[in-house]
Amino acid sequence: MADIDPAGLVAAASFTLGLVFGATSWISGFCAMGALSDILFLDDWRRLRSWLLATAVALIGTQGLDAAGLVDLGRSVYLGGPLSWGGAILGGLMFGVGMTLAGGCGAKTVVRLGGGNLKSLVVLLVSGLFAMMTLKGLLAPLRQAWERLTPLGVMGGSVAAPSLPAVLEEIGPPEVAARGFPVALIAGGLVWWCLKDAAFRRSAGYLFGGLIIGLLIPAGWTASAILGADPFDPVPPTSFSFAAPIGGALIYLMTFTGASLSFGVAAVAGTLAGAFAAAALRREVRIEGFADTGDLRRHLAGAALMGTGGVLALGCTVGQGLTGLSTLSLSAPLALAAIAAGGVLGLKRLETGGFVAAINSLAGRGEGRSGGVGGCEAPPRNAGCEAPPRNGGCEAPPRNGGCCG
Amino acid sequence: MSETKLDVTGLNCPLPILHARKLLQGVSAGTVVDIRASDPASVKDFNAFCRKTNSDLLEHTEERGIFTFSIRKGK
Repeated sequence: MADIDPAGLVAAASFTLGLVFGATSWISGFCAMGALSDILFLDDWRRLRSWLLATAVALIGTQGLDAAGLVDLGRSVYLGGPLSWGGAILGGLMFGVGMTLAGGCGAKTVVRLGGGNLKSLVVLLVSGLFAMMTLKGLLAPLRQAWERLTPLGVMGGSVAAPSLPAVLEEIGPPEVAARGFPVALIAGGLVWWCLKDAAFRRSAGYLFGGLIIGLLIPAGWTASAILGADPFDPVPPTSFSFAAPIGGALIYLMTFTGASLSFGVAAVAGTLAGAFAAAALRREVRIEGFADTGDLRRHLAGAALMGTGGVLALGCTVGQGLTGLSTLSLSAPLALAAIAAGGVLGLKRLETGGFVAAINSLAGRGEGRSGGVGGCEAPPRNAGCEAPPRNGGCEAPPRNGGCCG
Repeated sequence: MSETKLDVTGLNCPLPILHARKLLQGVSAGTVVDIRASDPASVKDFNAFCRKTNSDLLEHTEERGIFTFSIRKGK
């Protein structure tokens, strides 16, 4: 009887789960940046509810797996190694701003590429490059120095793991309560807040999108930890994440003959395939390119910020926001809050034309929400077509007189 | 005379909505504006945009990857 290779099983399962992730994202419009921009510009909170429902479902499922002893979250990167508050905050801010420039986070980039958007191919390549540079390359020494400078020390190192249940257990409650109470409070609160909105309940796409994506997180942990259990080659359990795995996917493509397929890389591939399948079946594939130089510049800057920030923060919107949070790691809420803050700042900058104007607008000073869309974001007249835009992108002053932010 | 045409082809979420919002702020109620976009997400976005701004989406078409929207600004 042939031996079944655990790594192969994990890759196959991860690819399949990725198919579901990609297709669901495409059909439902599940998107972190979209959630923030819907709130800021349309006062529509349904997409955020979709995201938070996924968070709640992921938390319940993942903590259930850990409590049942099926997954040892303590061996994951979110709980198993030293954490850095500076990495979470700076990385999160960089990632948040980056995703507003690049048209979406890492997951969204893969999904958009599946839909035919060639801009996302460029984002993928550049963010992957910067992710690997930050993880193991030219930027790694800087990252390590920053992490050493800002360690997330928890109660003088006396807790078993840098997680909320471990901290609570140290204070007093037994393990069941130390885990059960935060899960019930956080997940229960999120589910209540999401489902209390009638408009969200009527939005089948957002509701089921959040539910399905949320279930994929514990499914990922299961695939990684249970299918992949190999006493001769123990690999830290993981679930969906896109920052480092996009970089890993590039490395895998370049070193295929000597490389093995990890959970993360297989998930990226599956997500791409799933999004493409959904888009193709719905006849929604559209080949898109850059509108002008300004559009290219924004995407390049965004990709660099996302790749660097995502690794620095130990994960992206999905990696920390869903998977990291599902472990109740203390770095996850820091990273997620920083990503959200960066995203809001980045979106406001797109609206107002500059970071200072964005901060003033958020603080209630300056032009406020009705401020003009200035600077590099002025719409080119015939963007996306072969003829050059009349205003030459960022290089000529836009009609509303704003300056490049 | 206020501009009533907007071309946001080549731009992706959230820029089409951002520009549309500014366009609508510059015209009076009842004015019809025409928008061209290429982002596939713009269909959903402009539907939500019209609902939130109490505007009417009079017509929307798609031809070879270009979406056009005619929106009448509400009160």
